[in-house]
Order: sequence, then C-alpha cells, then structure tokens
Amino acid sequence: MDTDNDQEGETQGVKICGPPLEVNTAADTLATSLSLLGNHMFPDVVARKAAREDERAQDVPEEPPQDTEGSLSLQATEPESQEHQDDVADGTQSDSGEFVVTVLAKAKLEEQGLGVKGHSSPLLEVGIQESPPAAHGGSHRDEDVTAESWRRHRKHIFVLSEAGKPIYSRYGSEEALSSTMGVMMALVSFVQSGDNNIRSVYSEEHTVVFLQKGPLVLVCVSSSRQSEQQLRSELLYVYYQIISMLTQASISRIFEHKKNYDLRRLLAGSEKILDGLLDLMDSDPSFLLTAVHCLPLASSLRDSLSQILQKAITPNLVFSILIAKNQLLTVVQERAVIEDARLEPADIHLLLNLIGASSAFQAGEIWTPICLPLFNPDCYFYTYISYLDPPECTVCLLLLSTDKEAFYAVAECKRRIEEAMAAQGSLGLIAKAQTYSVSQVGVADLRHFMYKPFDVPDNHRQLTQFTSPEMEAPYHTEEEKMRLLDLYRYMHGRIHSNSRPLKLIYHVAERETLLAWVTSKFELYTCFSPLVTKACAITVITKLLRWIKKEEERLFIRYPPKYSTTPNPAKSSRGAKAEQTDSSDNGFLSLL
Amino acid sequence: MPESSKMRKPDVKVVLLGDTNVGKTSLLHRYTERKFKDTISTVGGAFFLKQWGPYNVSIWDTAGREQFHGLGSMYCRGAAAVILTYDVTNWQSLAELEERFLSLTDTANHDCIYAVVGNKADLTDTKAYLSQETPDANQTESEEHRSDVLSACPTPPASPVSISGVTFPKQVTREDALAFYGRILRYKGSDERTSLPAEKMCFETSAKTGYNVDALFEALFDLVLPSMLRKRNENQQSATVDLEVCRKGGGKRGRSTCC
Repeated sequence: MDTDNDQEGETQGVKICGPPLEVNTAADTLATSLSLLGNHMFPDVVARKAAREDERAQDVPEEPPQDTEGSLSLQATEPESQEHQDDVADGTQSDSGEFVVTVLAKAKLEEQGLGVKGHSSPLLEVGIQESPPAAHGGSHRDEDVTAESWRRHRKHIFVLSEAGKPIYSRYGSEEALSSTMGVMMALVSFVQSGDNNIRSVYSEEHTVVFLQKGPLVLVCVSSSRQSEQQLRSELLYVYYQIISMLTQASISRIFEHKKNYDLRRLLAGSEKILDGLLDLMDSDPSFLLTAVHCLPLASSLRDSLSQILQKAITPNLVFSILIAKNQLLTVVQERAVIEDARLEPADIHLLLNLIGASSAFQAGEIWTPICLPLFNPDCYFYTYISYLDPPECTVCLLLLSTDKEAFYAVAECKRRIEEAMAAQGSLGLIAKAQTYSVSQVGVADLRHFMYKPFDVPDNHRQLTQFTSPEMEAPYHTEEEKMRLLDLYRYMHGRIHSNSRPLKLIYHVAERETLLAWVTSKFELYTCFSPLVTKACAITVITKLLRWIKKEEERLFIRYPPKYSTTPNPAKSSRGAKAEQTDSSDNGFLSLL
Repeated sequence: MPESSKMRKPDVKVVLLGDTNVGKTSLLHRYTERKFKDTISTVGGAFFLKQWGPYNVSIWDTAGREQFHGLGSMYCRGAAAVILTYDVTNWQSLAELEERFLSLTDTANHDCIYAVVGNKADLTDTKAYLSQETPDANQTESEEHRSDVLSACPTPPASPVSISGVTFPKQVTREDALAFYGRILRYKGSDERTSLPAEKMCFETSAKTGYNVDALFEALFDLVLPSMLRKRNENQQSATVDLEVCRKGGGKRGRSTCC
C-alpha cells in the first residue's frame, strides 16, 4: 500500500468520514471499484482519501496529518497570477484534523500534477465551460450514455435506491445507466461495510459527491468547480423534491417492505419536475443562498394583498401564498403555525419549482398533495393551485390546507380573493411590479449584487430573504450569467468553507472584481467593473447598504400577517361553520 | 361577502380516471379548448367547470400516476359519471383500469354511470386518424407536439401516420372494452338488463384529431341530466351548504378505500 501525503494533486481524493482504520485494509477493493467507475466515467481517476475529523485517526501512524491549509493548496501552489489576487480577511481559524492519504498510483498522480499546473485557477476554465443545460432542447432521456457528449455534461445527478436500482438520472435513461449506478452503489456499500461513509471523490475534472438519505443514494458528478458543500446541498434539494412528492415516511415504508422496489413507478411523470429543479438551481442563486427572492412591491400594495389573503380563510387552511412572475409576493400563515414552525426558504423553492415545471397548472384549479419537507417531511398538505390572471398566467395563488376534503371550501376562498383583488385593481398593479435595475442604486462601477439580511426587521425569524437586481449587460447572455453565478458560487464556497471560513474576500477576476462580505447582520456579494479600486469598492458598498436600508420596505416582505382559522364564534359566521366542515379524516394524511 | 361572489355551484360531477399517459388531460383539453397540445403529467387533480345548457358540470381531470392514487376516492366522491380511459395501443392500460381504478369508484354515487374510453384511436384506426376537426390548428400543433414529446412516454409519440393510417398495433379491441364494461356492472352489482348497454357506453376516441370526443362528452352529459335535475331540486331546499350535503352523503355511502 503506497501511502503518500502529496499536496500537489489536491484535486484528487476520496473523502471518507468515520474511522479510517478500515480504509487501508479495504483500499484494494475500493481501488478496484473506483477504477471500475473510472472506466465508466473518468479515464484517470486517482483516488485519495481524507478521513475527516476523527480522533481515532490519530492512532494511525502512516497517515500524517494534512496541513490545515490543505483545502486551499491548489491556490497556494500556483504562481500568484495577476488575475487572481485574493485579499483575504480571515474569519475563524480553520478546524484541523483533515487528513489526506494517497491510496493509488503515484505515477498517475505525477502526470496529473503536471496537468494541474498548466492553469492557475479553477475559475479560468469557467468561461470555456459548456453552456448551461437550459440550452439543450427536448428530452435528455434518450441520450446515448456511451457518447462523449454525455460524459461532458457539466453536472450529472443520479438517484438510486440502496439496492442499486436506478431511480433518476438527469441525462440518459436510467436503464442504460443501471451498471454505472450499480458501481456507485458498490462504492457506497463497500465503504459502509467499514462503518464509514463515502462523501466525495475528486478527479482532475470532476467532483463526485455522495449523499445518502434513508433508502436513497444521491450522487452528483460535477465539473462545475462548485464546492463539495454546495454540491451536497443541491443533492439535498433533489432529495427534498422527491420527498415533496412522496413523503419521507412513505419512502421508508416502501423500502422496508420491499428492498428492491422500483421507485420510478411512483415518480413516473415527475422527471420534469426534477429536471426543472436542476436547471433552476444552475440559474437561480436563491438555492445557493437558501433565501427567497421576493418581487419588489410598494409596501402599501403588499400589505393590501396580505390583508386580502388574511380575510379569505377557511378551517384547516395553513398557508396562503401569492406568487407573480415566479417570485414571491406575500405569504400569510395560520397563527398557530407561526409559533412552532416557520416556512423555510427551501420549501418555497420547491413549491416555486413545482409550479414553474407544471404548465398544466395553467388550466383549471388544481388540488394536489404536497409535502413541505422542511416543515414536516412525513406528511402532506393538500394544495390548491390556481392562476388568477388567465390566460397570461403570471399571478398564481397557492392555498395549503391540512384537510384532504377541503377543496370546495378552499376554492371558495380563491373566489373571494379574486373578487377582493378585482375591487382593488390589484392585478393591474402587480403586473406593473418589476425587478429593479442596479442603476437605481445610483453608483457607478457596481454591476450586480446579492444582499441577504439575516433578519429582516419586523420579520424576525420568519422567512430568510435576499434581494438582487436584474442581471444586465455584460451579464445578459446565458453564458455570461452563468459565469457571474459561477464566480458568486466560488466566493460563496470560500466564505462558507468548512475548513477555513472567511468573512471578507476581495477577488480580482479577469473581467470583473468581486467583493463578498459576511457580518452578523448580512451576507453580501457584489460585482464591480474590473478597474475599481479597493477604496472605491468600499465606498460603493456603503452607498449600497444605505440604499437598501432606504428601499427595505419595497424589497422585502416585512410584516408577515397571520390569521386564525380556529373556530371563533365571536368572529363571524365562518367560525360557526368550522365544526361542520371539520371532516373525520382531516389533519395530515398520508397517501400510501 | 355578497352572494353574487359565490362560486357557480356545480350541479353534477364527472371524473376522468385512467392510467398515466392514456390522454385524459388531452381529451378534456380537446373538448374544452378544441385543441390538442403537448401536456405534461397531471399533478393531483385539476378541477374544471363546464357550462352545459343551464347546468354546471364539474369535471375532475385526475393524475394517472400511482403516486396520487390515494386521492382518487376523494375525487370520485359523489360523482355522477366516471370516464374510465385506456390507450388502445396499450393493453396494460386497460388492465390497470380494472386493477387500480375501479375500486376508486366506490365513493361515486350509487347511480353513477360509467363510460369506457379507448383513446389514441388515431394511431390504429384510419377513420379516427382522418377525422381532422380543425385542420389548421392541427397542423401547427402536431409539429409542436413532435418537437418536445414527453420523455416519460411509455408509448412512442404520435408520429406521422403512414398512408394506411395504421402504424401501431391495436392491442385493445372493442370487444375487450365491452367485456370490461360487463365486469364493471358485475363489480357494481348492477343488473345488466336495466343498466345502460355496453355498446352505448364504450367509446374509441382520439384527442389528437378530435374523433368521437364531443360525442363522448355530450352523450355522457345527456345521460347524467336526470341526476342533475334531481340534485337541483335538493339544492333548492338548502341554498348554502349543498356541497357539504353531497359530501356527507357520499361519505356515508362510500366504502372507504382510503388507507
């Protein structure tokens, strides 16, 4: 067993958490599995292992502790390049205990070491990356999985069951990939047999991230240079989207019953929703920031809309959500719900994706079970979905009830909301609402920004939100948009790095300068023209923060109203009606 | 709230049931919009209100996916007519009706009527293929349809049909459908002699060309009219809570299949 602590080939490695003792004895088999996978996906995989933060690791003499700078060594070993000066204000000191052990062929490693040297930064390659997946028309299902073009996709996502049965693949049909998925499962279960969990595999071009959730295994193979953490959070979103359709409880139940169940039976027809989610995650920073982007609206209008929702209620109604142009207008919650739980941004993202992916919602009124995984992963809400402005279909109303039978009562709420909005001419006003241009901030040099306050005043511990202007020239083309987002992802990855989190990054890139800054109050990402000076950037940020403060009312949902649907005879006839409508099987019902 | 704001109360409920991708949404879309377009897999159920003369017919277009199976009995509660849809090119879709969907109709009205509908007849039947209801609209839509056909389709997309008009083997014959109708009646415990005859209740349609679609819905609406009239009378006694009445009624009758 060749063990080496080589810093140069940092891009290669298998990260495994848990006691590393087993790892060495098992390495040969693992190597075989890896090369199997390698044959399939990456011709030159060189695997290394990092046993993470485990005291027991100390006992293994042949694994010298890796320098804590390890995760950044790629930059460290590069010649300082003009384009990539990073002025870094350190946040907390990094946690140590990260070990990197080389398991496999050194020769390969040297080869790759040379390859890695050629380019100075992962970001340089971003520009020449493949265009975003949105560009691919039609279906990905019939793609030839042996073709070079298939390998070249920027980000593959695979979902499989513990029995190794394929459930979902972003590109290509699951059947054609069953052997690849089998190898993935072999890797997972092999490492598992040593009381370990495989977390990631690094090769020169790809990062493979594994996530196991209950009976499901999710795998991401990415050449996007996103951090492992970011990729894992995307896998988690994929998992949540599946949960939102089936619930965690029913998935566990199914697989307890029948280990080799083909989950595609239940997910058939939902592939588009998962496809849509993956495309959305690539193009929408809301997922990266785990925050909701709401449509800027005069606070008076937003309040009046909230009040309309607040008045149109029925027993067991829990959330009323109004959406325009795929952005949130307002959310109103049942009073009792606010006390014990809050609506998480991720749940809203899943709802927005579901609506965006389902053009079918444009006709008629939909009544469907939806699980909000962060709210409660095991139960369904019965959700009423209807557009208020057919045939344009930009304004969408969602009413979430816990009563399976409440369709007609909830549909009646929509009738009242529609009427109240017509009386106030709300639809016309909403149609005028728009995202804003960065020029409104009134400072030159600022091209774009993302601002996420940790607490929106008066919306304490409610919904995490962020605000961001339109992406305008030079970021108006799909490729440029993606390039800026990739830069943001890079900055975000550095800020939230596990081993060495940062508070402030001033990053001079080739075609722009970026500054990311996290304080106890907010997280801010800004993009400037390339010629900005550091002093100038700081002045701009001061002005920007002042502007946001001034516009706060318009940019964020500030006063989330509450309602009470519990029977209250003093209130109105609604209250009296409550008992009557309370049918026997209300509450959270599982479908399976 | 002013009374005028009240939703137009549906007089009668019609439910579309059937396996995924047999064309339930397309049938309804053809009937209500007079068009055929690419649809995506329905989520849950979609509620439509259709004016039929002086009456309001509510139509539930349900999802065929197993995922939403649990809601089926809810959509069927109090239904006056159920359209059981299969795909003529797919034998399994007829088998699924018997295995999965028939039991959902337990919550329907006791006098509920059943129609057995074989869709996609244009793929197997020259007559259905040539029945071009709106030639101009069809031209543009079929192109659209071909360009982004659902990937999840177990059946191949409707490719341009050859001169003979038949490119797909017909897997379900009319006789199969008639026999299935007989089994429905037996399942319901209805007397075959007093029930509507199978010949009248089995249809072959094409949502793509519009073949037989209007005939199906119109025949069905005419047949449920007595049920509508009866319900109207009931409604006149209590103007406000008719839906609750219907729901409670349905609940009692229904042998619940909900788990």
